[in-house]
Amino acid sequence: MFSLSLASGEHFSLFSYFLKMNHGYVHVAMAATVTLLIVWLSLLIHRSFKRDQEIGRDPLVPDDKLSLRNIVEIGLERLYQMFQNILGHDAEKHFGLLASIFLYILISNFMGLIPGFLPPTDNMNTNLAIGLVVFLYYNYQGFKESGVGYLKHFMGPVVPLIPLMFVIELVSHIVRPISLSLRLAGNMTGDHQVLGVFSNMTPLLVPVIFMALGFLVCFLQAFVFTLLSSVYIAMAVSHDH
Amino acid sequence: MKKWLVSIVTFVVCFLPMASAFAAETTKAGSNAAGWAIALAAGIGLGIAAFGGALGQGRAAASALEGIARNPEASGKLFLPLILGLALIESLVIYAFVIALQLVGKL
Repeated sequence: MFSLSLASGEHFSLFSYFLKMNHGYVHVAMAATVTLLIVWLSLLIHRSFKRDQEIGRDPLVPDDKLSLRNIVEIGLERLYQMFQNILGHDAEKHFGLLASIFLYILISNFMGLIPGFLPPTDNMNTNLAIGLVVFLYYNYQGFKESGVGYLKHFMGPVVPLIPLMFVIELVSHIVRPISLSLRLAGNMTGDHQVLGVFSNMTPLLVPVIFMALGFLVCFLQAFVFTLLSSVYIAMAVSHDH
Repeated sequence: MKKWLVSIVTFVVCFLPMASAFAAETTKAGSNAAGWAIALAAGIGLGIAAFGGALGQGRAAASALEGIARNPEASGKLFLPLILGLALIESLVIYAFVIALQLVGKL
């Protein structure tokens, strides 16, 4: 039986230490924490926009000093450019979902770098939820874009091969959310494990190197998840078959 | 004010089922007679997977760097496919890692 939590050993977590929470459910508490953090962040940004409106400044004009809003605006703009490379003009339509997935995964991953916190993304439950949302979304967009003709994507190039290609394509589509979430969970578990092992060996200074490596991995995995999601969407809404 | 109320109620409804999930539960670690073979399989399997993955990623990174060295202006265009390819290669190693973890869990 495949266990949905990948970590075999028990990692230290503040939730299970102070609140006596069962270790198998820490990721749910962490997911709630991340959600609260994102809600708080967006409320802050929203208030800054509202303040601008009340003063009479154009909210489209960025702040003149370095502020949280500037950082978020720069980040989202870069992200938007990247999606534009893949999705073209459709980027605006799908940006909401993709960017929120990116932010959620990124902040979740970074949670794992804070001592005493576990990333919610090192558990398959969290990731499979996001993966399934992406799966449903791109299939819905495909049907919306080309109607029943979307099924042609599953048929392959020539008529005699249809029975074979249909099965192959079906399996490859079903495996997509699983591979998406397994990759994220595996990477986060591995990253956390490496950090834990090296912190046990030498508590001073050496883990900092792996902290930096973990920082890179966290960013890259959130990036890859959204990148692959946008590629799947682009493939579903394309017309060239 | 009403909007606030609605969002708070939504939040509570979303996370209320969570509370029931925190019921106490105990897990026990079983012992296996063939433990040494499982340990060997996990270690060697992950080693082989990392070897193959490293070869593949090395080739991908090498040719991307070569491309950038020949045409530095292409670095922006090479970046996305490179990251995508590296992620797809790496995911195979991660699958092996997951299986190794499952094996270690059986020890």
